[in-house]
Amino acid sequence: MAEHGIRSLRHIRTAGAAILAALLAAATLSACGGDESGGAVTLKFWTHTHPPMIKLNQTLIAEYERQHPNVRIEYQQVPNDEFDTKMLTSMSNGTGPDVLNLDDTTLRGEYLPKRLLAPIDYGALGTGSADELKARYLPRTLDGASADNELYGLPSEFNATAFAVNTQHFADAGLDPDAPPKTWQDVAADARKLSGAGHTQAFSFLYLHSGWYTQQLQTLLNETGGTITDPGHQKATVTSPQAQAALKIWTDLATGAGRAADPNRTSREATSPFSDLATGRQSMAIVYPWAMEQIRESNPDTFAKLKLVPLPQVNPAKPVNRWYGYYWGVSRASEHQQQAWQFIAYLASQSQRWLSDVKFIQPVKGWDTSAAGKQVPGLDVWSAAYRQGKFDEVAPHFAEIKDAVMAMVNDTVFDHVAIPEASRKAAETIDRSLGS
Amino acid sequence: MAVLSIRPKAPRSPAPSRNKPVRGRRKAVGALFAVPALALFLVFAIYPMLRVFYLSLFDYSLTSPPEFVGFENFTYLATDPQFGAALWQTVVYAAGTYVPALALALVLAHALNTRTRGSGLLRLLYFLPVAISWVAVSVIWRVVLNPDGLLNQALGLHLNWLTSSGSAMWGLVVMGVWKETGFFLILFLAGLQSIPDELHEAARLDGAGAFARFRYVTWPMLLPVTAVCSVMAVIRGFQAFSPQLVLTNGGFGTQVVNLFVYKTAFENARMGRASAVAVLMFLLLFGLTLLQLKVFARRDR
Repeated sequence: MAEHGIRSLRHIRTAGAAILAALLAAATLSACGGDESGGAVTLKFWTHTHPPMIKLNQTLIAEYERQHPNVRIEYQQVPNDEFDTKMLTSMSNGTGPDVLNLDDTTLRGEYLPKRLLAPIDYGALGTGSADELKARYLPRTLDGASADNELYGLPSEFNATAFAVNTQHFADAGLDPDAPPKTWQDVAADARKLSGAGHTQAFSFLYLHSGWYTQQLQTLLNETGGTITDPGHQKATVTSPQAQAALKIWTDLATGAGRAADPNRTSREATSPFSDLATGRQSMAIVYPWAMEQIRESNPDTFAKLKLVPLPQVNPAKPVNRWYGYYWGVSRASEHQQQAWQFIAYLASQSQRWLSDVKFIQPVKGWDTSAAGKQVPGLDVWSAAYRQGKFDEVAPHFAEIKDAVMAMVNDTVFDHVAIPEASRKAAETIDRSLGS
Repeated sequence: MAVLSIRPKAPRSPAPSRNKPVRGRRKAVGALFAVPALALFLVFAIYPMLRVFYLSLFDYSLTSPPEFVGFENFTYLATDPQFGAALWQTVVYAAGTYVPALALALVLAHALNTRTRGSGLLRLLYFLPVAISWVAVSVIWRVVLNPDGLLNQALGLHLNWLTSSGSAMWGLVVMGVWKETGFFLILFLAGLQSIPDELHEAARLDGAGAFARFRYVTWPMLLPVTAVCSVMAVIRGFQAFSPQLVLTNGGFGTQVVNLFVYKTAFENARMGRASAVAVLMFLLLFGLTLLQLKVFARRDR
């Protein structure tokens, strides 16, 4: 009995020593893992979901890991509708990614004011200064990831806005696709003819979530000269005549005299926003480069019938476009910022592949004259749109403001509330949000 | 009687001086067994609740340190039209869904209480919606409630159920009644089956009709179950979240309080304000539950 006890004690000691040794080894290895001077480094990289983008990201990651055996990239895709929530909560508890990919309104509205991102490490990118980096890109296109004259990201995709028309539908209605609508009144007039030819969903805005509502209204606001808040973000300006004019264009096309479709029958599937255009239900739509590529892949027959034309304007003599971009950035909390920027430098250096494989336009100078750029359908339309753009304005608590904008549009379109009343209600909500 | 008793005979009580430490030790062992459950309860129920109370006194955006603001979140909510609207919409949803669901459940339970051919299958069918998740039910009902959907076809209407402030809430209420009736049906059925047949027999012999038997026998005997159903109905009504999120995302007058909390916390990053709403809702539900229990206790007397 006593011998057995001693043997057990020995076993316990041996096991204890083994566990201690294992813990020490793990601690040493882990210390090496965090070493920035040549030890193994793991970078967490998060993006939203877009199959062609994911495919190229996976290819580029594999290439990068082969070239840098000491770097491992943990790539995670987060569903679009969960992205903001997951990113924000993970950043708050320190489990967030090192490299992230965010749109410019989220960056400027939430991440940069809260100092969640690290400024660009020019050394790691292989450029000497901000001016040298900016010289590689089209003017103002890096503004989507800048604050206080500091840059925080490189564009992974950059979108201008255009219009797509279904040439088959136009032919059915006796319309000439080579003479597309130049103004929103033209859209309404063409819609009447299309409806007469049986194409009742001629043109519709998308009613998906507050982000989509706001970006579409912003497209119209850019044209009417309206804004959502004043420049200092002290109070709402959605009651201004210019802002109300933008809302009137929307409401007229949805339910008014220029009714171009039934908004209740517009697809509301956020994972496939352009399904009505892609499946040939809708005759005209506001589109972005990635949307055209998605339609080309999913519905090649419809894609063959689509013609890309400039965005209809309030004043065609002075066209204004809307820009938005997604940017690669590095978390300020990352322990491997230098390696993260080096990885981003590699991703950004592949702009031709982003263009040819995913149809993501990165606004580097000469993109439209490059070999891959020349293959982009509707190049002349995009090329012009990339020179006439404007980023969305963002204000503090922008998520609440987007909700107010959505409620305002819903009030007028679906509940037939008068525009002044709906905009007054939205202004009250926005003012309250800005003041708290 | 003593022979029929199934309770084991108690041993002769030992001397008090020897019994005390044994009983104490038993108690200690019993308490030890409760420790894991108590620890889990403290960590996963009590601590989060206390934390929510604590956070409600701060301005906290998740990504910057919390800033103490005292009762500012509560005073803000007191004048916030959006919170007021959410509270009202919750009351409308809860009352609109659970009052009819309880009434319907009581009627159906009565109808299904007697075992007839097919009653088992009917019970199963009524209970089936309860077993399906709210998200799945919402997706199914989106098809039912869309402009070309089954409900409009059945009623011969052309309502845009989910895209109008006049009808979106009622679309959700119809769905809620369909989903929740089965839950209360089962509870009422259990209550009905626990009523001894002798009571009904005696009432029948006394000449009581069907309504009188319900009024003076069934209903008083069902009061404890009705109290449970009533408390649960209020709690479930105020917990509404998934269908509003899936079908309308809180638009068109359907933003219930839980959705308001979710959006305030995780979309608008105002954790302190969201916590204050949670505290208010806790107090409100606690008060409502006490009130209901008091009312039913008085009736029971």
